[in-house]
Amino acid sequence: MNKRCDLDQAVRGIPDGALLGLGGNTLNRAPMAAVMEMARQKKRGLRLVKTAGGMDVDLLCYAGCVASVDAGFISYETEYSLCQHYRKAVQDGRVRANEHACYTVISALRAASFGIPFMPVRGLQISDLAAVNDYFQPVTDPFSGETLNAVKALRPDVSVIHAQLADERGNALIEGPKYDDVLLSRASRTVIVTAERIVGEEAFAASAQKADIPHFLVSAVVHVPRGASPGACAGLYGVADANLREFLGLGTPEELESWLARRVSHGQAL
Amino acid sequence: MGRPCDVMTVCLARLIRDGETVFHGVSSHMPMVATLLAKATHAPNAVHLNIPGGVDPHKPRLVSYTSAGDDLLETAEAAFPLQEVFDLSMRGGLDVAFLSGVQFDRLGSVNASVIGDYPRPKVRLPGGAGSAVLIPTAKRAIIWRTKHDRRTFCEKVDFVTARGHVSDIVTPLCAFTMYGGELILKTIHPGVSIEEIAENTAFPIRYLTLEQTPPPTDEELRALDHIDPLHTRNLEFR
Repeated sequence: MNKRCDLDQAVRGIPDGALLGLGGNTLNRAPMAAVMEMARQKKRGLRLVKTAGGMDVDLLCYAGCVASVDAGFISYETEYSLCQHYRKAVQDGRVRANEHACYTVISALRAASFGIPFMPVRGLQISDLAAVNDYFQPVTDPFSGETLNAVKALRPDVSVIHAQLADERGNALIEGPKYDDVLLSRASRTVIVTAERIVGEEAFAASAQKADIPHFLVSAVVHVPRGASPGACAGLYGVADANLREFLGLGTPEELESWLARRVSHGQAL
Repeated sequence: MGRPCDVMTVCLARLIRDGETVFHGVSSHMPMVATLLAKATHAPNAVHLNIPGGVDPHKPRLVSYTSAGDDLLETAEAAFPLQEVFDLSMRGGLDVAFLSGVQFDRLGSVNASVIGDYPRPKVRLPGGAGSAVLIPTAKRAIIWRTKHDRRTFCEKVDFVTARGHVSDIVTPLCAFTMYGGELILKTIHPGVSIEEIAENTAFPIRYLTLEQTPPPTDEELRALDHIDPLHTRNLEFR
């Protein structure tokens, strides 16, 4: 089945209030074009899931799209400092920060991918995170009696993953670091793939390198060259410093809208 | 005396012992360079683990915007992604985890989460990343922090993101170590006085013996220039 569509159409399939997994890690291979299109379409109430997020989470908070963020770390890395829109939204009570250890996001996604309601983890022995968050609960090993912490499963309604290569049926290959994206694809109800390059139907069958994400897990495929920019995409491009700094300099909602309008137009990345 | 970033990086590198498994995460340029430095000098058999999953990257081209970029995998010998690094720590196989935070107290508590109340904080911090599971499970958690003042080294942290196996904390002024469940002064960096450390630390300064941090050697400085020609180890001081 040909699942290729444009960005506008793919993003329209994400309902307001969705539990949304985002691929990549901080400024590396995050699905930025799709994120900008979500902001342009004024999505509301999204509940984001990611081990370590950066500009993607910051931009969606800036655009008022977010209800909560389940993550271990939300910040630009050293050079670009903190995610000010995310911080402000949490401090003002507009966004709920569900702080995880990165591993507990992984554990929550593993539970979802295994089809079980929680995952026991070590760690968190001495942490206020376990006390203040209801998604961590003590659990007793029925065999030894040892107490561990249970992490509640997180099953994203949809995850958006940016890959270097995909075919029209949805088979997708991630070159370089895969971060948590393969797990995310297994844990989610469905996956939207944006890809730098669309390859022919026979390409994966003829190659020794097989797709990481098989077509049957994927509902939409979008061809988006530079789809992770201003972030980096392994093997293809680094961070677009000037664009990123321009974004960091924006202040009002109107400034964001006009910045977005110069980058996405009716689902086409410009 | 050396720049603070060089003294700190060298101090972190010397804490790594030959043959140990060592992990650093995002926003961690200084420990990334320290790990590469340890491998280039006294600890060639240390195992460098990271988020992209590259085991022992060879001369990665360090970039300023990430310490979790593709070069760490591209130039590596084997793939061992983040999920598996955590699993390794859970089963007792991770020797060293490098972590940070914004508040620390004398019990070795780390706060990287919030200033003020958790649900409606005065300041929302980036979060502890792997701290809450790594600090209790790694054999040693080594902390670096480029700020050393009374708000950072405070009497009591606002929120305990994690406590556990913190073994050492390195700052621009000194190195602390945990001794009998308490953070004590281990060495004072060149050009720093104990009075300066006491003035900038909200808990009492205690120590067993008082020694100076040996300044970076010529060999270490040469290796640093080779590993990190863009001085990404200095990013947090810019």
